[in-house]
Amino acid sequence: MSEIRVEGLTKTFGPVVALDNVSFVFPESEVTCLLGPSGCGKTTLMRIIAGLETPTSGEVYFGDQRVTRLKPSQRDIGMVFQYPVVYRGISVRRNIELPLLSQKLSAAERQRRLDTVVQILGLEDSLDKDITQLDNGTRQKVAVARAVARQPRIILFDEPITNVDAHSKLQLKRSFKELTRQLRQTIIYVTHDQTEAMTLADRIALMEKGKIVQCDEPRELYNHPADVFAGWFLGNPGMNFFPANVVAAGQGLALDAPFFARPVPLTGNGQPGQITVGIRPEHVVVHASQAPNAVEARLLRKSITIGRQYLLAIDRQGQALKAKVPPSVGVALGSTVWVELPLDRIVLFNEQGRRAGLTPSELAGASAASTAARVPAGSV
Amino acid sequence: MAQLGTQIESVAGARRIEATQPRLSRWRALEESRLFPAVLVLPILIFFLVWNIIPLLWLLGVSFYRFKLTSAQPEQYIGFENFRRLWESSVYWGTLGRTLTFMVCSVGLATVLGILLGLLFWGSARMPGRRLALTLLFTPMILPPVAVGTFYRLIYDPTFGVLNYYANRITGKTYDFLGDKELAFWALVAVDVWMWTPFMTLMTLAALGSVPKAELEAAEIDRLPWLKRLWYVVLPHGKFILMLGILLRTIDAFKTTDLVYLMTRGGPGNRTELVGVTLYRQGFEAFQMGNASAMAVIALLIAIAFTSIYLYVLNYRETRAALR
Repeated sequence: MSEIRVEGLTKTFGPVVALDNVSFVFPESEVTCLLGPSGCGKTTLMRIIAGLETPTSGEVYFGDQRVTRLKPSQRDIGMVFQYPVVYRGISVRRNIELPLLSQKLSAAERQRRLDTVVQILGLEDSLDKDITQLDNGTRQKVAVARAVARQPRIILFDEPITNVDAHSKLQLKRSFKELTRQLRQTIIYVTHDQTEAMTLADRIALMEKGKIVQCDEPRELYNHPADVFAGWFLGNPGMNFFPANVVAAGQGLALDAPFFARPVPLTGNGQPGQITVGIRPEHVVVHASQAPNAVEARLLRKSITIGRQYLLAIDRQGQALKAKVPPSVGVALGSTVWVELPLDRIVLFNEQGRRAGLTPSELAGASAASTAARVPAGSV
Repeated sequence: MAQLGTQIESVAGARRIEATQPRLSRWRALEESRLFPAVLVLPILIFFLVWNIIPLLWLLGVSFYRFKLTSAQPEQYIGFENFRRLWESSVYWGTLGRTLTFMVCSVGLATVLGILLGLLFWGSARMPGRRLALTLLFTPMILPPVAVGTFYRLIYDPTFGVLNYYANRITGKTYDFLGDKELAFWALVAVDVWMWTPFMTLMTLAALGSVPKAELEAAEIDRLPWLKRLWYVVLPHGKFILMLGILLRTIDAFKTTDLVYLMTRGGPGNRTELVGVTLYRQGFEAFQMGNASAMAVIALLIAIAFTSIYLYVLNYRETRAALR
């Protein structure tokens, strides 16, 4: 078990820059998810850490040891691939044992490790089956068991449940959770599926275009995206963005946009001008009738999503907004609605799409405490 | 006006369709007839019949006759007499045994060397000049046996041969590789191995290429020793292609004639006489057509036996694939 540190890691494939000067620390005994859209470089980063790919420049350290020039076999890692990789023609038991045989372990210790992983992954029934008789989901479990039983310093998962059926997916996810809780090992888990990342990760490292753009605990990342990309990529659907004006008001600044009933006082450093307001669809409060702090808007479309929640498309003065509301609210809505954006839920971004130094000043106080109980429902 | 125009056009169109209709329906009738598949297969069937079946039956027929081209006597039906004589001939059994020895040694050595070379090339994917080395390696395989036989006769030559030049320098003796009773057979095996090792290298590379990259990476990460990597990762994927190569080579080695005939003509004595050579000499030097035909029939049966093994292996793969 050791932390993984990468320094100035760059990898180019011809003209394509897969990794762009990445420096990052994967903390010891934690599950870090590398999350990002296809082609953002997350798999390349993992393969460089595994030693399956050599970086164009930069270094990789496991703890204090520099491993950049070491072969994968010298790095003491375990890896689970996207497609279940199993050794053919032998039983499940032999598959899990095979790497253990070349380590100098006592037979009792081997058996103990085998029993542990088999129990966690629920492989008891298939233990003596030939590997070719198994479906993809079970094969992937065998691959996981094989990687875990070796107890390497670091375990890498490369989108391990992308290619298995829905039922096995759920089962695998559950056993991963169980495994990570028991192992407390340094784990990197690559995925493009935010639900997976949200459920499994201690921390999520969000990647875009060969860079790690933000790394935080799942809820923190969800509630306080560092930039527009993070807000858009997480959540289903992603964050709403609309332009607003920062205007001078008295001695300070205020935020003005059609979705606000009156200009919102701001604290922090900033200049008057344009700013981007972000809010998650499930944080938008929608009323069927007039309410304080709410503005009138037109309801364009109403559809039902997972959990019978309503997904609304709302328009006010040409500005569009998506909102996600519980069934009890959604069912009662007519073509005219009243929309309220809770000030503690809005996030402001500057022209570069990064978090602005400004926050609505009414945030401090009681409202923050009341929202802490609200769970980000959009992650499922 | 425009309407009238389209009307005229459509009438003309209808007429055109009528005109093509009978031809079309005749074609369709042919297509639907039960004979149609047979008609399609007929050309190749005729070809097969004329060039394969008839000569084979003819051969089988001739093997039951005493039939000598140089004799004035008419051919005479003698039943299994030709086969009986072969069965009782210790010389023919010797030839068969020698051929099998040749086959096993040649194919075995070529396979071992080919696999080793294949692994070497596989492991050196980034070596500069690899492509050139591969191209050079494959030249023996594409040379005609006539050329190989001729220049190996020169290499092995006791007076001018380059091999003797060096052998002489080292040991101080002169070797007549192709004239020596002990050496000739092995000299031939060496040439055959030299010729066909590249083929086995090619098959090995193909077999290695069929191993999924992720499995090799997993084996590397799992720190499997290389022997286990070969056994559990490479062989399960590559064994069918490799097997195919070995079987093709086996059938081919059994038939080796041209190389031997060019280099030693079966000599010294009959030390290098293989079934193909015997057959050729019986047929085209002694003109004992009946006898030669009987030998050919036996050779054919042995070849069929090997082909059956080959087909069995192929089918085995398919059934395995279907089960998966």
